[in-house]
Amino acid sequence: MLDVRGLRAGYGSINVLWDVDLHFEGGRLTTIIGPNGAGKTTLLRAIMGQVACTRGEITIDGVRRDGTDTWRMPELGVAMIPEGRMVFRDMSVQENLLLGAYPVRKHAGLDQKLALAYARFPRLFERRAQLAGSLSGGEAQMLAMARGLMADPRILLIDEPSLGLAPVIVQEIFGLLGKLKTEGRTIVLVEQNTRRAVEIADQVYLMQGGKVVLSQPAKEVNLERMHERYFGR
Amino acid sequence: MQEVMRRASRHRSVALAVVIAAALYVLVPFALRGNLYLMSLVVASLTIGGIAVAWALLGNLGGLISFGHAAFFGIGSYASAILVMKSGWPIFPAMLAGGICASLAAVLVLPALRLKGPYFALAVLAYAHIFRIVATEWKALTGGAGGIGSIPRFPVLLGFDFASKTGAYWIILSLVLAFALIHFYVRNSDYGLALRAMHDSEEATRAVGVNSLLLKAMMLFLSAFMTGMVGAFNAHYINFLEPDYAFSGLWTMLPIVAAIFGGYRTITGPLVGAVVVYLLDQLVFKAVMPIGHQIMLGAMLGAMILWNAGGLLPAIAGWWRRHRGPLAPHA
Repeated sequence: MLDVRGLRAGYGSINVLWDVDLHFEGGRLTTIIGPNGAGKTTLLRAIMGQVACTRGEITIDGVRRDGTDTWRMPELGVAMIPEGRMVFRDMSVQENLLLGAYPVRKHAGLDQKLALAYARFPRLFERRAQLAGSLSGGEAQMLAMARGLMADPRILLIDEPSLGLAPVIVQEIFGLLGKLKTEGRTIVLVEQNTRRAVEIADQVYLMQGGKVVLSQPAKEVNLERMHERYFGR
Repeated sequence: MQEVMRRASRHRSVALAVVIAAALYVLVPFALRGNLYLMSLVVASLTIGGIAVAWALLGNLGGLISFGHAAFFGIGSYASAILVMKSGWPIFPAMLAGGICASLAAVLVLPALRLKGPYFALAVLAYAHIFRIVATEWKALTGGAGGIGSIPRFPVLLGFDFASKTGAYWIILSLVLAFALIHFYVRNSDYGLALRAMHDSEEATRAVGVNSLLLKAMMLFLSAFMTGMVGAFNAHYINFLEPDYAFSGLWTMLPIVAAIFGGYRTITGPLVGAVVVYLLDQLVFKAVMPIGHQIMLGAMLGAMILWNAGGLLPAIAGWWRRHRGPLAPHA
C-alpha cells in the first residue's frame, strides 16, 4: 500500500536518510525502531512531504506521491500523529479536534465524528472547552491521536506516542493502537519502547544512521539479540 | 436549557450592536452638528481606524505583521482618483476598484509570504518604498511629485450631499463597520479556525490538511483590499494626492499604534484604539504641548503596553469581569 524506495532525504545540506527501502502492507501495523538520530521521524516527515526528498520515490497504492504538498496528504487518507506536545496549545480541545476534520469538511458527519472521538477518549470530552496547552502529557497525546483520527485516515503515521508518559497511559495508548489495527487501518509506528512496539507489530524495521539495517516479521524478532547488536554500547 | 440561554445572550448581543450602530450613525453627527473641526477629526480617526482594522485582520488571522500598509493605502487612493478623473468612472465603483488594485499590488508581495515575523514586516516596508517611487516617477499616470489636485468629491445621492462632513462620516463609518463584520465572520469560519492554529505551528496546521500559504495570501489580499478602499475614500474626501502624502509612513505607523493600543487581538479594539488615540492626540496633547505632542502619544502607547500588552479593550473587559461579573464575550 505505502512504499518507500531508495529514498534519500534530509534538511538542506545535512542528509539524514540514505536510500532507504520500506514496504508498508495495507491493514498491517509496521513498527520502525532504532536509536536516537536513526532518521525515524525524518522518514515520517518525508512521507508527509515536510522534508524534501532528493532521490528515490514514495508511492501510495502504486501512485507516486513524493513531492506532494503536505496539506494534500490528509485528502489522500494519510494522517500524521505527532508526539503529544504538538497539539495547538492556544486552542480548545474541541477546536483541535475540528481542525483534524478540516480537509473533510463534511459538516453533516462532523457531529458524529466528534461523538466518536469523545467516545474513544472520554477524558477529552470532560476537557473539551479547555485550552490544549493546559492538558497533561497523557491527555495531550490522547488529543493528538483523536485529532489524527478525525479525518478517518487509511494510513496513520504515529510518532513516539509513548514518549515520556506514565505506564498506565502507555498501556491505554497501545490498547488503542491494537483496536485501530483491527479496524483495518495501515499503521506506521515509530517507537522507542521497542518491546511493546514489537509485541503489537506485524512487521519490524530497524533503522540506524539513516539506513534500514534489519527488516523482519515481528514474530521472528529476537529482542535480546537485537538490543545487544544495535542498542548496546 | 443551555442552548436557550446561549440564544438569548446572542439576541442580547445583536440588540446591543444595533443600538450602538444606531447611536454611531445618528447621535454622533447630531451631537457634533455645526462643529466641523471636531467632525473632521472624527472622520480622520475613522480613516486611521479602517486601516487599523485591516492591519489587525492580517496580524490576527494571517499571523503577518506588516510595516507597509501605506503602500495599499496609496495605491487605492491613486487608482480611484485616476479612474474617476481619467476614465470618468463614478466614485463609488472607483473606490471598489481602488481596493481591488491594492489587492492586485499585493500579488507582488506574495514572494515575501514565506518570510516570518520581522523579516516579512521589513520586506513589506521595502515594497512600500518601491510603490511610492513608482507613483513619483510614473508621471504620465500619477502626475509625479506635483500630485493630483481637484479630485472629485463624493456625489449628491437621493438628495443627500455625501461630500458634507456628515456624508463622509457615514461613508467611512460604513466601511469600517463592514470591515469589522468581515473580520468577525472570517474568524468564526473554518478558515478562521485554521488561521488561528497557524499561530501555534504552521507546519502542524499544514499536516492536518490546511493550505496555509493560500490562506495567508487570501488574508493579505483581503487586508490590502480594505486598506485600498480606505485610501480611495481619503482621496475623494481630501480631494488632493501626492506620492509623499498618499504613501506616507504615517499611514502605516498610526494604524499600528491604534491597533496595539486598542487591542489588535480583538475585532473592535483597533477601531476604538484609533478613535481614542487620534482624538486624545489632536484635542488634548496638542493643546497641552503644541510642539512635539507626539512624545505624549509615544509615552501613552508605552504605558499601555507595560500595563496591559493585550490593549485597551481586553483590559476593560477584564476589569469589568472582575467587578461586575461576566460580560457577553467581547467581539
